[in-house]
Amino acid sequence: MAANTSVIGRTTRVHGRVTGAVDLEIQGFVEGEVAVGGDVTIDAHGMVGAGVRGRRLVVRGAVKGDLVGEEAVLLEDGARVVGDIRAPRVTIVPGAFVRGFVQTGEPGEAPSRAARPQVAARLAPPPAPKTVPAAVTRAAAAPPPMPAPSKPAKAEVAHSVATVGSSTANSAPRRPPPPVVPALKKAKGQIAKRKER
Amino acid sequence: MASTVIGAGITIEGEITTDEDVVVTGTVRGKLSAKETITIEPGASVEADVVGGSLVVGGALTGNVTATERVDLQSGARVIGNVKAARVTIADGAQFKGNVDMDV
Amino acid sequence: MAQTRTAPRDNPGREARIGSGARVRGRVHGDGNLIIEGHVEGELAIRGDLTIADGASVTCQAVEAHAITIGGALEGDVAATGPVRLTAGARVRGNLRGTAVSIEDGARYSGRLDCEFDLPPELGGASRGETRGRTPARR
Repeated sequence: MAANTSVIGRTTRVHGRVTGAVDLEIQGFVEGEVAVGGDVTIDAHGMVGAGVRGRRLVVRGAVKGDLVGEEAVLLEDGARVVGDIRAPRVTIVPGAFVRGFVQTGEPGEAPSRAARPQVAARLAPPPAPKTVPAAVTRAAAAPPPMPAPSKPAKAEVAHSVATVGSSTANSAPRRPPPPVVPALKKAKGQIAKRKER
Repeated sequence: MASTVIGAGITIEGEITTDEDVVVTGTVRGKLSAKETITIEPGASVEADVVGGSLVVGGALTGNVTATERVDLQSGARVIGNVKAARVTIADGAQFKGNVDMDV
Repeated sequence: MAQTRTAPRDNPGREARIGSGARVRGRVHGDGNLIIEGHVEGELAIRGDLTIADGASVTCQAVEAHAITIGGALEGDVAATGPVRLTAGARVRGNLRGTAVSIEDGARYSGRLDCEFDLPPELGGASRGETRGRTPARR
């Protein structure tokens, strides 16, 4: 890897695109897009003002642009990123800061599908065995037929009250539960009601 | 001092400025400017105006070259452009087409 | 598998636990810390720290707490007054906001991260309000 690693040195500024089937280490400033076939390391002093695409991206510096890793993106302590991050594996350690959309599991996938958490997206739930996100979505969208707020399911957690309504785990009702939550968000419930009609 | 290495396989299109040495084995299109030594290795392809302290050229360069100290064209050099430097050497086998200005 | 604790393991009086066999539907709020091992649907708003354990699942419109550690499944937007941390077993879909957000290797995440910080001046300095890839707020 060392033989094929290119280095943009600390005092180097590149105003243009960087491409190639190489590994790249950025210690300086790159204003244009970086799209290489190998690994990209942006060290603590490195700065990139546009998107970065590579196999594995390790960021310790600043990036204003999207980070797309074919394998992984790792943000280390000191990293500052404003932009979207997409890679099968994304690791952000404490001390790294991000402002943007982050998607794990899919390298280079266009954000349009995942960016909008529509009902359809929620119907393909993460592999949590017991949740019924579809039911909840429907429950939340369904309008509260009676405006009277249903108190019974409200759980106070202030003190040592630990468990609530511990029905046996398997008897979870699959049909939409009575919509308690929308009681607190009446306006949104009504908007959703109009949308459903 | 650390250097910038633009390795074989990498292409930079745009403007590069640096205070350090630069070694180019890849492709640069645009403009390249360094305070120290710029080395263009065999196999490199540079289509740019190049400005540096010293320049050592062993590969292909199309563009104007300005160096504050010296320009050395090695035997593998293929240079098309004007060269301006206090000292210029052109090795046997180097191909060069352009003006040379040693009037600094 | 379904084991419901009726009292927190170490109980300083300000920690609560929703055990792995429990299902809560509604609004959960309070002052202390909360550990969720079961299922919660609705809204979560606590002043203390929140831990969503591996195997737990939370589906909420809004999750509010101080420090939030997520090791299970979460669908919903998270607003923390402290740090947010996703551990390796996390499966999270939603927008996260906190003083710091960290994601361990192996966590699955889809959503928008929102931390307050400034880029260096060469990259434009303070860039709040950037709309790169912004996802519309969940409902």
